[in-house]
Amino acid sequence: MEKVLTEIAEVTADPYGYVAGLKERKEKKVIGCFPMHIPDEIIHAADLIPVVIWRGNEPVTWGHAHVPPYDCGITRSFVDDAVRGKLGFMDGMVFHVRQCLQAGEFPFIMERHVKPSYQKVLYLPALYPGDVMRDFTITELEGFKTSLEEFTGKKISDDNLNKSIEIYNKNRSLLERVYEIRREKPEILKAREVMQIVWSSMFMLKEDHNKLLTELIKGMEAKTVEPEKDKIRVIPVGCLCQTLQFDILDLIEDLGMIIPDDDLYIGSRYFANQVNLDGSPLGALADRYLTRTPVCPTKGVWQVHWGDEAIKKMRDNDARGIISIIVKYCPPHACYYPDFKSKMEQEGINAIMIEMEHEIITLEAIKTRLQSFVEIIGGV
Amino acid sequence: MDVKYKVNRLQTTNEIRPLVDKHWADLRTAKERGEKVAWASGPTFIFAYAMGMKCHFMAGYSAYCGGIGAGEEVLKVAEMTGDLPETCSYHRLHMGMGEAVARGIDINPQAILPMPDLMVAGRLCPEMSHYAEGLNRRFGIRILPIDLPSVYDLKDQPRLREFVYRQFKEVVIPTVEDVCGKPFDYDRMSEILTVLKEVATLRNQCWEFFKTKPACWTLWDYGVSIAPVFYLMGNPAGVAYYKRLLKELQERKEKGIPAIAPDGEKYRLYWDGWLPWAFLGKFMRKFTPNGAVCLCGRYPWEFFPHPELIDPEHPVETWADLYYGEGRLTYNFSPHGTVDLISELIEDYSIDGLVMFSSKTCRIMNLSQPEVIDVLDKKYGIPGVIVEGDMIDPAMISDAQIETRLEALYEMIDSRRR
Ligand code: SF4
Ligand code: SF4
Repeated sequence: MEKVLTEIAEVTADPYGYVAGLKERKEKKVIGCFPMHIPDEIIHAADLIPVVIWRGNEPVTWGHAHVPPYDCGITRSFVDDAVRGKLGFMDGMVFHVRQCLQAGEFPFIMERHVKPSYQKVLYLPALYPGDVMRDFTITELEGFKTSLEEFTGKKISDDNLNKSIEIYNKNRSLLERVYEIRREKPEILKAREVMQIVWSSMFMLKEDHNKLLTELIKGMEAKTVEPEKDKIRVIPVGCLCQTLQFDILDLIEDLGMIIPDDDLYIGSRYFANQVNLDGSPLGALADRYLTRTPVCPTKGVWQVHWGDEAIKKMRDNDARGIISIIVKYCPPHACYYPDFKSKMEQEGINAIMIEMEHEIITLEAIKTRLQSFVEIIGGV
Repeated sequence: MDVKYKVNRLQTTNEIRPLVDKHWADLRTAKERGEKVAWASGPTFIFAYAMGMKCHFMAGYSAYCGGIGAGEEVLKVAEMTGDLPETCSYHRLHMGMGEAVARGIDINPQAILPMPDLMVAGRLCPEMSHYAEGLNRRFGIRILPIDLPSVYDLKDQPRLREFVYRQFKEVVIPTVEDVCGKPFDYDRMSEILTVLKEVATLRNQCWEFFKTKPACWTLWDYGVSIAPVFYLMGNPAGVAYYKRLLKELQERKEKGIPAIAPDGEKYRLYWDGWLPWAFLGKFMRKFTPNGAVCLCGRYPWEFFPHPELIDPEHPVETWADLYYGEGRLTYNFSPHGTVDLISELIEDYSIDGLVMFSSKTCRIMNLSQPEVIDVLDKKYGIPGVIVEGDMIDPAMISDAQIETRLEALYEMIDSRRR
């Protein structure tokens, strides 16, 4: 188990180096997909390496000349990485420009400054009523598949697609199993380790990641841990598109809280929902995208309340509070948050919000907020 | 000696306020008359209008609210009731207004609208969806959502047109029929389009007077004249308004009266982004004393610049085509479309410089603005600057920053002239 965790810590410490090395080892092209909703199974089926684009950990420099300071962290960091030439290993890039306005920043900037040999823009729809939404999603995915076929010069058969979907589904089940064990014995992993485990799945080849997870799960199942009864269970929610600073996760734990489960994008949201393998693979991928839960504020869903989902998760885990993490300048989340907060108030739930910025100058302010939160919910 | 520039105000534009006030007053009292009310965002209100609903429009309401000076107090209510300052100010205005009504908080009564029977939520920008969802969650308003992607690449346009057209036919029309309890009124939609075509044609003739040197009027004058091609759509009063405006501009040209005294502009500028509704006067005071005049812009050109494409005989198809066909109205929101449109405007209106207004809370027109400046500078040798701010929220506006950037622009234009 420790060996696997060390390996995962290493790859997540330098995803750039890891992916560049992977590309060399496998002699395959790398396609970066901007998070959160691109079905990268199709890229995998095209015998390419799909990776979910990440937020780097360096302050933005050259990127300032291309994107305003009031764009979210991953937008600025990704553009910065790109224009500084740090993403030269990406042969292609895919953007779903309808997720939020900021996701629309990229294609033009990349065309002008990075010129990946393959670039695709997807317009995945909001989850609105009418058959037209599913039909259009399938049209988009067909176009995506065709563009990849043109890029590689090879057809993607349904068989290939089904195989890739199976590998991805397996990865989802394994991640779910990791979470299941963590729910039973939350002391088994540090929150940063859990985030690293999910994050590494986003840029490792899924087959490789599945092997790691299988080994990890064996270790986790065998390991006994001393329950830390005095720890206060909390559920972090949100943090769309990007990794939360690991220091914030450590801070939560250092303050006497423990995370038995989460509702984070680089967390349980990433692997939620399997792709159904019964019918046409593109239809099945469309159906996964069109699933309303977990509620994603970028998808135009109003029939289910995100707050209800978070409260359920909290209660299922005997947790005592919810910590919303909003990425600074993430409008989809920021627009939703007031209603999320009202729901917490109506239901008498202990909840707090912290804002995550790309460049954290000091953790003091966050620490103070979390400290009072933990005092309120009955900690030290 | 320094020239003292000052605006020559148009007479006709004084006539717009009563028209606009009447629109909002009719909307406020619609329920008392038993009329159905809709709210709309994106290019969707025509469907509610066709059914005889009184209808608000998200950006139109925000402009109105800013224009009557109610923006700040409504934004305060939004903040007090939990909205976050980084969400778009149009979103916050609606939440603030809704909360003020729901909680009985005192705000300017002119800024209060009746809660709608239906919200026609066109998701041209994803935040239009967030606002509709929020209003549904908080006040239970029925939503008719329509996904309206802006076109990144023209080759994507046909399939997006089909997607949007199907939504009009399969979702929008059946829903408004259901809400109003009657069949969709295609004839009324055609009538609205007939009036729109006439108004937009007259408006285009007025645009010719931006081309003259010196220019006869300013983009700000056109900004306050937008309602007839926008939410006063279908109202014949718009035809009368633009006829008078055209006459006044013709007279100005004949008499040699420029938009700014004494003898017209020194800098002819393009304005990108929304108009800063609550701060039109503020910006005017930063342009005029320097002899600078904004003459064209992306947002004001969103209102049917090609009336010849409007075909009232095929109302629903024409509506789809205006936005996703030859009309290309949503393409202009993407950087490629922006470059194409601004290129045309630079050539048609002999532009000297670009002012790219970047709203801190609405990024729809901000996309790739620095790139667009660079492309156009390389193509035409015309400088551009980004001016940060907001359409409504005074907390987002910095005088010093605006002045510094505009001064830099004037200097760049001067140095290139030398
Ligand atoms: S964090 Fe939010 S604003 Fe940023 S790219 Fe993701 S969804 Fe868009
Ligand atoms: S973000 Fe901009 S385009 Fe979108 S709803 Fe707000 S003001 Fe309108």
